[in-house]
Amino acid sequence: MSHEFYVWMSYGMTAVAIAFEIAWLRVQRARARRHIEEERDLEAQD
Amino acid sequence: MNWFYFSSPPTFYRLAGWLVPWTFGTAALLAAAGLYVGLVQAPTDAQQGEVYRIIFIHVPAAWMSMFLYFVMACYGAASLTFNTRLAAMMARAIAPTGAMFTFVSLWTGAFWGRPTWGAYWVWDARLTSELVLLFLYFGFIALANAFEEPRRGDRAAALLALIGLVNLPIIYFSVMWWNTLHQGSSVSFKGTSMHISMLTGMLLMTFSFWAYAIGATLVRVRIIIVERERRTHWVRSL
Repeated sequence: MSHEFYVWMSYGMTAVAIAFEIAWLRVQRARARRHIEEERDLEAQD
Repeated sequence: MNWFYFSSPPTFYRLAGWLVPWTFGTAALLAAAGLYVGLVQAPTDAQQGEVYRIIFIHVPAAWMSMFLYFVMACYGAASLTFNTRLAAMMARAIAPTGAMFTFVSLWTGAFWGRPTWGAYWVWDARLTSELVLLFLYFGFIALANAFEEPRRGDRAAALLALIGLVNLPIIYFSVMWWNTLHQGSSVSFKGTSMHISMLTGMLLMTFSFWAYAIGATLVRVRIIIVERERRTHWVRSL
């Protein structure tokens, strides 16, 4: 296998890992916002 | 300046929100510069050829994996000593990013090792201790989330982080203490044997990863603050 394969597999996986972490953070942030909305709804009901 | 002012979660939440775009912007700019220097400007290595270009992400990722663990353990120690909420939240927020950099370090090391050593993996002291670091991060994350009461999880995970600190000097000095396949450090405080453009590319990528780690940690700690304090008035009024 050529050296380019090893270089791009390394850079590619790094990009995937960072993209995965950012996507995961966005999912967690959306979930946190949903929880705040639920708390607000509960407060409004009381 | 009263630094305790910023240890209050509502104050820190706003400060972190202000800092996040700057850190990610800095990380992107430094990464662009680092990739340009590393992939375009730096010369081909006389012995390794093009495959040496993996070091522009492998070395910074390995440095970050150890540095983030150290910072995480310091926050863990602070949360155990002073019983501060924010320090425990910061320790939790650092762990996934530290694990990600450890994984990147191992992965890129494997893809550098195959053409250089002839194997993706060897049970070398440096590689094995770095793998232990990944398991320590996983253990920290699992332990922190294993309790229904978050503060108990914080304390248990902080203890694990402090015990795991012993692994950091093992990783760093493994190439000196044992006869390893992994090469010794090319960069130290005493100097370097690298070409200046190679060193520049590596340092730019290191600062980029550093800025990214700060940004990702701040985003995550904001999420943790909001989740923990969602029943408080200030979170409901966000």
